[in-house]
Amino acid sequence: MANQMQKDENQKILTFVSRTAPYGSNRPQLCLDAALAAAVFGQDVNLVFLGDGVLQLIKDQAPQAISSKPLSSTLETLDLYGIKNIYIDQDSMTKNHLLAEDLLLDGRSAGKEVLSELFDNSAAVFNL
Amino acid sequence: MSSLHTISKAPSSRLLDQCLPFLGQDDGLLFIEDGVYNCLDQLDLPDIEIFSLKEDMKARGISDRNRAATKTINYLEFVELCCNYDKVVSWF
Repeated sequence: MANQMQKDENQKILTFVSRTAPYGSNRPQLCLDAALAAAVFGQDVNLVFLGDGVLQLIKDQAPQAISSKPLSSTLETLDLYGIKNIYIDQDSMTKNHLLAEDLLLDGRSAGKEVLSELFDNSAAVFNL
Repeated sequence: MSSLHTISKAPSSRLLDQCLPFLGQDDGLLFIEDGVYNCLDQLDLPDIEIFSLKEDMKARGISDRNRAATKTINYLEFVELCCNYDKVVSWF
């Protein structure tokens, strides 16, 4: 019980913002890894896909065509690690002509107000 | 002199906008790597040949979302294309 109390005191809201396309760099993978690590340590994790970050979520990717590892396998483990708070920036979706049904995971479609409130309420915001 | 311009970054880089003023009438434009995300939108481009790399589109799951209606080419055709122009100008 004492342990549980301690854990709760140390639990912080951490927000990870992924802003890059899936295969141009290792940033999306790093962002996911960091979010997963935080979740493993019992933190309250928010994951936000913003800008080119939404491109990571497009269904039916086949990265073996360019000898890259699929990000989708990591994305599918988010739920397993208890990362349920996934936010997808609506503007970025619109800009890329994407709809919720085009994505490989469910997230909350969020506008700028929702996201800035999220940032305000977070102990730390990691931007990758 | 004809040039093949290759664009290798997503629209957020504004790379295509920077390249546009330098496209001559005999030039070609080719989207590769993250540049293929430019195909997600209809593009207002001069009347020149526009290509995108099939493998890069397939990898990113956007083969069926080619609003820019580019001609898709494979790696072999990419090599051939490079030989058809006097030079390749790489925007990255």
